[in-house]
Amino acid sequence: MNFSQHLPALIVVVPLLFAFVMPLLARWRKQWCVPVTLGAIIFSFAAALQMAFQVMSTGPFSYYMGDWPPPWGIELGIDYLAAFAALTINGVGLLIIWFGSKDLLHELKPEVLGWYYTLYLLLMASMVGIVITNDIFNMFVFLEICAIASCGIISIKESRDCIEAAFKYLVLSVLGSGAFLLAVALLYMVTGHLNFTFMAEALPEAMVLYPNNLLVAMGLLVVGLGVKAALFPLHVWLPDAHSSAPSPSSAVLSALVIKVYAVAMIRLLYLVFPRELLGIAPVMEMILWMSTLAIIIGSMFAIVQDDIKKMLAYSSIAQIGYVFLGVGLMSESALVGGILHIFNHATMKSMLFLAAGAFIYGTGARKLSELKGIGHTMPIPTIAFCIGAFSMVGIPITSGFISKWYLALGALDVGRPFFTAVILISSLLNGIYYLPIVVNAFFSKPEEAVPAPKQLPREMLVPLALLSFGVILFGVYPSLILGIVYRAAQLLLGL
Amino acid sequence: MSITEIVLRLHANSYYFFAILLFIIGFHTMLTHNNLIKKVIGMNIMDMAIFLFFVAIGYVRGGRSPILEPGVNHAFINPLPSALILTGIVVAVSVTAYALSLIIKLYKHYGTIDAEEIMRIRGGGSL
Amino acid sequence: MQFLGSFLPVWIVMFPMVMTVVIYYVEQRSEKMRNALAVATSVVTFLSVLALYPGVMAGKIIEFELFQILPNLAVSFRVDILSFSLALLSSFIWMLVAIYSIDYMCKEHGCNRYYPVLIITLASCMGIFMAGDLFTLFVFFEMMSLISYVLVVHEETIEALRAGYKYLIMTIIGGLALFFGIIITFELGGSVSLSNPVPLISEPSTLAFFAFISFLIGFGMKAGMFPLHVWLPDAHPVAPSPASALLSGIMLKTGAYGLLRVIFHVYGIEFMQETGWTVILAVVAVITILLGSAVAITQDNLKRRLAYSSVGQMGYILLGISILNERALMGNIFHIFSHAFMKSTLFLAAGAIILKTGKKNIKDLGGIGRQMPFTMFAFTLAALSMIGIPPFNGFLSKWTLSLGAMDAGVPFYVLILLISSLLNGLYYLPIIIAAFFGEEQGEGHKHEFVKINEAPYKMLIPIAILAVSCLLFGLLPSNLPFDLSRVAAEYLLRGGF
Repeated sequence: MNFSQHLPALIVVVPLLFAFVMPLLARWRKQWCVPVTLGAIIFSFAAALQMAFQVMSTGPFSYYMGDWPPPWGIELGIDYLAAFAALTINGVGLLIIWFGSKDLLHELKPEVLGWYYTLYLLLMASMVGIVITNDIFNMFVFLEICAIASCGIISIKESRDCIEAAFKYLVLSVLGSGAFLLAVALLYMVTGHLNFTFMAEALPEAMVLYPNNLLVAMGLLVVGLGVKAALFPLHVWLPDAHSSAPSPSSAVLSALVIKVYAVAMIRLLYLVFPRELLGIAPVMEMILWMSTLAIIIGSMFAIVQDDIKKMLAYSSIAQIGYVFLGVGLMSESALVGGILHIFNHATMKSMLFLAAGAFIYGTGARKLSELKGIGHTMPIPTIAFCIGAFSMVGIPITSGFISKWYLALGALDVGRPFFTAVILISSLLNGIYYLPIVVNAFFSKPEEAVPAPKQLPREMLVPLALLSFGVILFGVYPSLILGIVYRAAQLLLGL
Repeated sequence: MSITEIVLRLHANSYYFFAILLFIIGFHTMLTHNNLIKKVIGMNIMDMAIFLFFVAIGYVRGGRSPILEPGVNHAFINPLPSALILTGIVVAVSVTAYALSLIIKLYKHYGTIDAEEIMRIRGGGSL
Repeated sequence: MQFLGSFLPVWIVMFPMVMTVVIYYVEQRSEKMRNALAVATSVVTFLSVLALYPGVMAGKIIEFELFQILPNLAVSFRVDILSFSLALLSSFIWMLVAIYSIDYMCKEHGCNRYYPVLIITLASCMGIFMAGDLFTLFVFFEMMSLISYVLVVHEETIEALRAGYKYLIMTIIGGLALFFGIIITFELGGSVSLSNPVPLISEPSTLAFFAFISFLIGFGMKAGMFPLHVWLPDAHPVAPSPASALLSGIMLKTGAYGLLRVIFHVYGIEFMQETGWTVILAVVAVITILLGSAVAITQDNLKRRLAYSSVGQMGYILLGISILNERALMGNIFHIFSHAFMKSTLFLAAGAIILKTGKKNIKDLGGIGRQMPFTMFAFTLAALSMIGIPPFNGFLSKWTLSLGAMDAGVPFYVLILLISSLLNGLYYLPIIIAAFFGEEQGEGHKHEFVKINEAPYKMLIPIAILAVSCLLFGLLPSNLPFDLSRVAAEYLLRGGF
């Protein structure tokens, strides 16, 4: 019984615990809130790192909650994908809240600050829970925590837009959870299990007896998780929710929360449902076309936006399309590209949102037209934004290029160059809306004299610098994470 | 299939049938009503339908509650779905509470809880 | 020594990059230091390239793999005779332009931006020519294209920004097309290395055709190929003149270089002859030649006219690539040299005129030859060379190209070359005639004689060197560029080994 054996449980429990300590701290020891939050997430990050090393050296392992073996107890399954996703969530989440510790001071009322950290830790715990659990009902519970916490970090800024966006998000989230729970019921009905591994064993037999039942369940799962992941026609809630929220919330929502549902969907579709079922119903084909539409239409909507955060939100819709494109193509390279894009998009989108947050913090400007000449007054956020934009377009030596490379290669592998073309066209569209901002920031002059922006504190600059460094680093040395992503894809495809 | 057969099958699966019916009622309420509170009520009806469906899976006709007594051999109801749904109910309650509190805030900002009205005040967009 | 030799290409690319950072820090303190460093960097780069000469002429191919980004996808360098020729040419002209810039830019704003960008563009340009695989080529190609955007919009006027936007979008389209081509090559050939003993793609297929079209779009966009030339006449004139000289003289050539690499290393010459896909290139090249030359006549802005002329001249080079025989290739590579010398002379001379008089339109240039005889004399030399009058180098390249066309049995191409020469004459000669014999065009104050001096000597020397090279490399039967082109053409036809 040593400590590191319990890491899979602790990685969820520690943030959860501190989430509930936070209101007390906020009451009596206000200045402790930030360090404690950071400490909890750093702990989770270290645990995720340790788990990733363990997975890479000894292979996937599981953890039985309370020592109850499945099918009775809840099992946490740490495989390559889970470790990778946990690492992404905690790494990016840490930088976002670090940035947020200063940014939130001007966005939120002081009396709710403590609650924000509660919600944030809840969100982190539930996201990690979703990706590492091997039990479908446990996943449902984490999904609900995640849904409420993510609505919470929007509505905590009590402006009209935020409340409204949060309500819309909540209603659709509940719909998604409902669909998910119904799917759980249908699966439980035919298999008698809630554990992924046992379900996967029982399903081929059940498929013969109740194919319709399973198809409905699969459809409900795709729709339920699709709503939460904002997969194209189910994305309606996202632009408002992500753009009105405080910047750190937008960053975490766009960068991590929607990805978590994608990870959940990947695990269910690849590990639980028998491959033959995917043959009966063209689910993958559907996902493919939905993601294609997401990629193109998301980018097109982004072009016409005038609000920088709204533009970034629409861009997220397109980018989640990339992830699902990788899922739907079902080839090794494409899946690698899709999974890698979860990480790459998390870093670049959080960076873009934080840079936008820095602009808002410094000048109060949200409109793209107000950002002219910002490159001279706020150089570091603008350079970060610039790197993020290049990465979005897929310029080489940024990480965005690597995921595009794999996705495009995957599309060619299965003999569908059409999807390669889709990726390229969307890169062009990305260029059309990202690059003018960069250009205006450096080469245009503002129409009227603007007051000098507020100086950014170091807590905001360092995360931005780290994220931009990461985007470049993983563009030049993608092999740092490719190993685990490759293994994850191979495990999922059963290679 | 004769009418009687259909009726009999419906009877045998009446829990599922009514669960689906409830689900549709809830979904319909949620989509068509402009009143935000009615939306929340629809949401709850929908949740309840799912809970009913889930619990019905574990129900065995004529079964007893699963309390094991030595020497007594009965058909037992599967307790797992009921246990799970307890969690589900807790979640649904908290979501409802949260949604209602958001509605209160919306009412403070707009002076109405009608989605159309809010849309009109806001000018464009949809809720 | 062996290691040093193979490290030289990396040094040539990395040195200017490092110097960019140094210049960026130095310029905060001293402007003089900055200028000196910029010139020194370009000189050192030129000398380093020159140091490759003995090895390369002995037929050696220097290869160096820096590191692998992904399996089978590395940043690697490779210098053969073709790389060397173009790198030598570029670094030479860069050096002259850097010297020219010192006086030209001293009155401009944003010099602290201009010099680092100038030097890092040099680095990326060297990277393109010395890339050992298509991926590295692509990386440096994108880098050069994006960074030279800063040169294009240097003036920050509305006009420049608009041209820059067009340029940016076209660059991205080109980059994505290249990406598509490269990834198909990777899929079909399993590698994108240029040092494969056999061509990467060996069987014609729909995908291979897509890849060819993508490469054509990607590199053709940079080379100003019709119908992707639209950005060029806007972007080149708005840049500061030394930058225009580089854009037109060197950076256009990277597109042609890429196409050469694609045709000879990715597909191989037999493949191209079998499939006949180069016909597409030939057709657009002919249209490019005629269109560029014809539209140039209608332009009144001097630099714009020069830019359109570049479009036409790039058509020659593309036509030379499409013919696929030795003499045409030789003519094509030699024309890369010639055009670089001629067009840089013209742009630099135009820059001197703009700096001294502020006149940008041809109709105002009457009598300028009497005020700035030296500059206009250089301009005349280059313009005559452009028209293709012997004994200038423009004549030599056209002559070789025509011989190649005759070898291939397409006299039609010779006709095209002749027509275009005629058109060239139509738009260059009036400038010269007006400059030397025309009336001075003062704005309403004709008799108020404003004494206009020649440009400072730091500007005149580069112009002079370039103009003399135009004459020299046409006059001497055996000169370095000509020999290099001959060897490079043979080398390419051998299959690139």
